[in-house]
Parts: sequence; C-alpha cells; structure tokens
Amino acid sequence: MLWERIKGGMRLAALDPAASAAGLFVGQSLADARALVPNLAVREIDRAFLDRKFADFADWHSNASPLVAALPDQAAWGDLILDITGVAHLFGGEAAMLETVISRLSRQGFTVAGSVADSVGAAWALAHYAPGTIEDGDAATALAELPVAALRLDEHEITALLQLGLKRIGQLYGRDRKALQARFGVRLVNRLDQALGRVEERITPRLPLIDLFAEQRFAEPVGLIDDVLMCTADLAVRLAHTLELKNLGAQTFHLFLYRVDHQVMTLSINASRATRDSGHIARLFANRAERLAGEYDAGFGIDCIRLAASSLTETAALQLGAFGTSEASADLDRLYDRMTSRLGPLAVVHSRFVDTHIPERAVRLEPVIARTPPIAVTPPDAAQLRPLRLLPAPEPIEVIAAVPDGPPATMIWRRITYRFAKASGPERIEAEWWRSGRKLDVLDPPRTRSAVIDPKTTLHLPKLEAFEAEATLRDYYVAEDDGGRRFWIFRRGLYGANATPGWFMHGIFA
Amino acid sequence: MFSVLGSRSLVLFTQAQTIESLKARIAALEARPALGDTPPTAFATGPLALGPGLLEEIFTDEPRNAGAALGLALGQARSLLSPERHAIIYLQLTSETQETGLPYGPGLLSFGIDPSAMVLGRMDNIVDLLWALEEAIACRPVAAVIADIATRHRALDFTASRRLSLKAARTGATVILLRYGRAREASAAQLRVRLVPVISGETPFDAQAPGPPRWRCTLEKGQARTAGSATEILLDWTDNGFAVVETGGKPRRIAPVASPFSPLPAALGDRLSEAG
Repeated sequence: MLWERIKGGMRLAALDPAASAAGLFVGQSLADARALVPNLAVREIDRAFLDRKFADFADWHSNASPLVAALPDQAAWGDLILDITGVAHLFGGEAAMLETVISRLSRQGFTVAGSVADSVGAAWALAHYAPGTIEDGDAATALAELPVAALRLDEHEITALLQLGLKRIGQLYGRDRKALQARFGVRLVNRLDQALGRVEERITPRLPLIDLFAEQRFAEPVGLIDDVLMCTADLAVRLAHTLELKNLGAQTFHLFLYRVDHQVMTLSINASRATRDSGHIARLFANRAERLAGEYDAGFGIDCIRLAASSLTETAALQLGAFGTSEASADLDRLYDRMTSRLGPLAVVHSRFVDTHIPERAVRLEPVIARTPPIAVTPPDAAQLRPLRLLPAPEPIEVIAAVPDGPPATMIWRRITYRFAKASGPERIEAEWWRSGRKLDVLDPPRTRSAVIDPKTTLHLPKLEAFEAEATLRDYYVAEDDGGRRFWIFRRGLYGANATPGWFMHGIFA
Repeated sequence: MFSVLGSRSLVLFTQAQTIESLKARIAALEARPALGDTPPTAFATGPLALGPGLLEEIFTDEPRNAGAALGLALGQARSLLSPERHAIIYLQLTSETQETGLPYGPGLLSFGIDPSAMVLGRMDNIVDLLWALEEAIACRPVAAVIADIATRHRALDFTASRRLSLKAARTGATVILLRYGRAREASAAQLRVRLVPVISGETPFDAQAPGPPRWRCTLEKGQARTAGSATEILLDWTDNGFAVVETGGKPRRIAPVASPFSPLPAALGDRLSEAG
C-alpha cells in the first residue's frame, strides 16, 4: 500500500486487493487507515520512479506489437494501449493474444486486466469495467451496460451525470448531442464518440517507428555488451540482405535490447546517407556503444535483440568501380558517420554562413550528418579582416585608450597586460534590431525519435549569453601587441554622459 | 654449410650496396621512402610545404599564440589539397574551445580554406580525440588532420605519436599537431616547428595598422631543405601564400604554394593570378 502527501495530509494513493477488502479506499487519511488495520505495510509513493518503471514496462511490450503507447489520460501510469492491427494472427487470434499477454503478466505477479476493441476508448472502458471482453465490431452494445465512468471522464463530470440519473453509457446514446454538450461540455461528447469509434483517436507510440527489422531471441539471456555487438553484426547482415532484396537503403537504425526484467534499451544511429552496408552499420553501433559506457546495464540479461531500420529510401545497386571519384565522398561520409556515432552529432560539425553582420552569428555550426540544403548566402566580404579563431563567448577585458573613441593602447586579458604597438579600426557593427535577443544559431541535433535521450549532446557547444538588446553597437579594432600577437577586440556601446562601455576580446588573428 | 654459403654471398656486396640495403631496411621499418630519396621535407618546395603522410608538431610557447599556430598549419595544409584529397579535419577538445577559440569561417577564407569543407571535431577527452584522429587518417579523401591539443596529456605519449606517424605514412594523410608550451616530450613526429609570432611589417598606407601576419619558424626536428639549410626563417602570410622575410626588411615573394585544386574561386584566387 502506498501513501502520498496531499495538501499537507498523508493520504492513501494506491491499494492492493487485500487492502481494499479490508475496507480501505484511495484518498483515506493514513491515520484512519492505520486505525482500521493496525498491521498496515505502507510506503510513500515515488511517482517519478513509477512513471519510469511503467515506461520501461510499456517499451517491453513492443515484442507483442510495434505500436505501444501509455495512455496518460486518467493516470500517469497504469494504462497501456497496444495497436494489434495485423498482429493478432501471430498469436493465434485476438482471444489467444489477450490470453497470452495477460497471463504472462499475471504470472509475474502483476494485477492485469485487458480487453480488445476497435477503438482506444472502447478498449479502455472494457478493460476497466468488463475485463476480458473481446468486442466483435459492435461497440455500442458492448458499452451500453457499463457505467459512465468508463468513458474516461473527470470526477465532477461523473457526479454531474449521476445526479441526473445517467448511470450507464447506454442511456446517453439517443440523447441530443447539443443538449449534452451544453450541459456537460464538449469533452463528454468527444469521449463518447471516441469510445464508439466515431472519431479517430491517435496514440503516440513510445518507441520509434520502424520499417524493417531483424531479430534474434536467446534461450539463455546474454549480458555482455560484446555479445550484444556480435549479435548486432549478425543481425546487420540479415537486415542488409533484406534491404538489398528490396533495393532499399536506410538512414536510421535502432537497436532494441529486450531485457528479461521488462525493460527495453534503445540505441539509435543515423547515417549521413542511406546505407545497407552491414559492416558499416555494425561499426556504427559499436562506436555508439562506446559512448554508452556506464549507461549500459543488462540487468538480469537480454533475451531478445532487434535491429530495425527506418527512413528507408530507394538505393540502387552500386557497382564498385576502379575509377570512381564519387567513392571518395562516400568514404568521407562514412568517416563522419563513425565519428558521429561515437562522439555525438554535435561533436562533428561544419560551418555555414548566415546572412548577418554580427560576427558570432555569421557562422552557424551544423552537424555534418544533418546537412541542410545550401541556401544562397552572400559570402563574407574578403576585404574585411576576420580572425582565424573566434572565442565562443567574448571575454571582458580592461582597456586603456588614448582618446575615448580611439584605438586601444593597452589591455589586460586573462590577467596579463598587453601593450599594443599597432592597431587599426574601428569597424563599427550595429546591432541588428530585426533579430535582437537571439543567441549564436546552433542547429538542434537530428531527431532520432529515440527514447534514450543522450545528456551529453547538449554539452558540446558553449552556452552563449545573448547580448542584451540595448547593447546597440560594437566598434571592432584589430590590435597587435609588441609580441606580434593580433587580437580582435571590441568596445560595446559608446562613451556617453553616464555610461561606461565595456571592452571585450572576441578573436585571435593568425 | 649454411653459414659458409651466407658469408660467401655477403662478400658479393660492395660497401655501397650494403649501405643501400641497410637504408632500405631502415626505411621499411620507418614506413617511409628510403632516406636518400625524399627526406621528410620541411622546406622542399615552398618554404614550409609539407609532403603527404607526415606527422608534424607545431609548438608555440603559449596558448595565446593559438591563432598563429593555426595559421601556419592551415597554410601548410592548403598545399596538400588535391582533387582526390580534398578534406581537412580539425580536432579540438571541447574544454579548450574557450581557451584557444574555435576556427572561424570568415577568417578561414583568408587562408584559402572553404569553411564548409573543413569539418570541426570537438571531443570530450583526449582518448576520443586520438581515436577520431586515427579514424580520420585512415580515410582516403582526407588531406590533413589538424589536432589542437592545448594541454599535456598522458595518453599522447611516444607510443601514440609513433602509431600516428606510422599510420600517416601508410595512408598518406598528414597530421599536424598544434602544441603549446616550452617543454618537449619524446615524439615520433618527423617534423617539429617552433613558432613565435613577430611584430608585423609595414602596411603601405597606414603605418599604424597591423600588417600581414609574421612568424619566426624554427625547425627543431627534421631536415631543412631551404637554400643554405637555415633552420630558422621569418615568414609572412600574404594573400599569395608564404613569403620569406629577409633580415634586411622587405618580404621577398617566393613562388606561391601552388595548389592543384583550389577550393576557393574567391578573391584570393584572383589575386594569385594578378600577382603571378
């Protein structure tokens, strides 16, 4: 039994059948419950943990159907929806499939109820209020006798319906929709339509959609990552063969590792061009696995490995030529794939010019494997002096200039004093009022639709503070110190009556 | 019986032949052309033109000279570009980005490098960086890999550099390591250049403005092949490539490092033809 702190009071949040039989109910205060049942075993509910576990649990069901979703309408966890269109026959029919799924869960000690129906709403209603039912195409009759609570309604909506004597769903059938909507809100009508299959309800599958897969089941669970990778290489050969037969190549590959304890680990990789080279795919996964390091946890073992391909494109058979020059760029793409798979998409980037005058925005770093089509951009003016290295975040410096608007004479940067022998400038760059407040443009990594979110990918690029909108203009100077080092420094703003503009180091010349 | 035969066949070699065969054996061990043929060329064609398949270290005293070091590396790497080898890869540790700065597209243009063709790799640790470096060398279209390593790492020891130099010699991609500091570790690099930026020369119209970048390059390791085998030269980077500055004053324009494949049809290329 679990309790939760609600508005300062400790109240019951979840019960097992024995507790319900003892007359306890959800929402009861813990003290009352303890008074009723002295030897109560209670723990505080950890919702985040339960959410996580339930997500794993949902993923694991992808061995029954490719489309699995958790249904968070009523509760964050507890409701699982499987789209079994075209799957049931693999289990010997809908009844047998329901039986298989339910029995294997109850064997593991879960309390499960399930049903099969044409719509998400009807399935939910039947599973909760008439478990085991298999609806045979007539949702209206199947649902007619169920209480209105089966429509996934709020508590106050249910109370409102009960007050008017509308206890069963069947009583709602003939009623005027406008009147229902006026009295109970559009949600009720919607829910009714969803249950009866009049409107389509979409589910959001938890795992990425896949087009083709090859899988390997094990009699004995495997645990070592090396075994997994070896198996992946075998699967890649099989998958590549399937792809080749269909004349296809894939850009995204997912590796699903089904653990014995109902968790699924997903590894995803992207190739910069569609491929079906099994060796390449296996190597990308090997690289990706190196990046996992501590995250890999086989638990009690992995009993099924599935390698899936998505983003399929038609790929013609390739003849390996002796004189091909296009091979060279393919080689390069493979190099980028390998680097990206081990280091992450944001670690392998190239520069793209952007039409802007602000130096740090004039270049956008773009992952190599997710090249965007070239846009016509005016290339930077070769006559403008630009540094070879740009500091991602300009560093504040202390500068002494002979005259306020003149070139700097000395500066202190990183606690070292520099005496400038030569300087040129200023080159004045005004703030672009039409896009103020934006940071250095960095593209998002390609969406792998992966369930595993890699925390590392966000760390690869420096956090740039947006320059404030009121920082109107910058005067850039090229200054050379007596040691021949040349720096690109700028003054932000103008000397005025009350404002003292700041100086910043922004780049280093060759 | 066997030993007698062996000694008799040895007698047939003249001394010169013996030396030749020993040279060949050393060359095979070193995985590079025989010592007599093409030595690791620092100054073979241009003042600092590199051959393919070399490992070079460019040392500057402090990380604040990082711009100059990258400039020299890019100037050298540019001469290695060809239609078959058209990629330059730059590797850096993420933690050192703010310290030394990130190569900046518009600035690369002035070194004749197409910024969209130069891939930047940014790693979390030195092990990943060395791994990426080896992967990049093994890739055929890669002309040069520039690795910027600002701090000393235990992983980058003699064994690692030996691995790199052998692999580079085998695949023909050149590796340029940018290192900082005055300490020198044992390394298998064929060339080591110490770079010191020098106050630039005069610009024609503005005496106060900085002129083209000027560096003093000292060859600390490897064979110099300049006229007079000077191991120290003063270089300017101009729009036409490297120019040797003689002690007297004005830079002497030397034959530009002709790149058979210029990725840039931009202003730089135009000026090349004007100057020639």
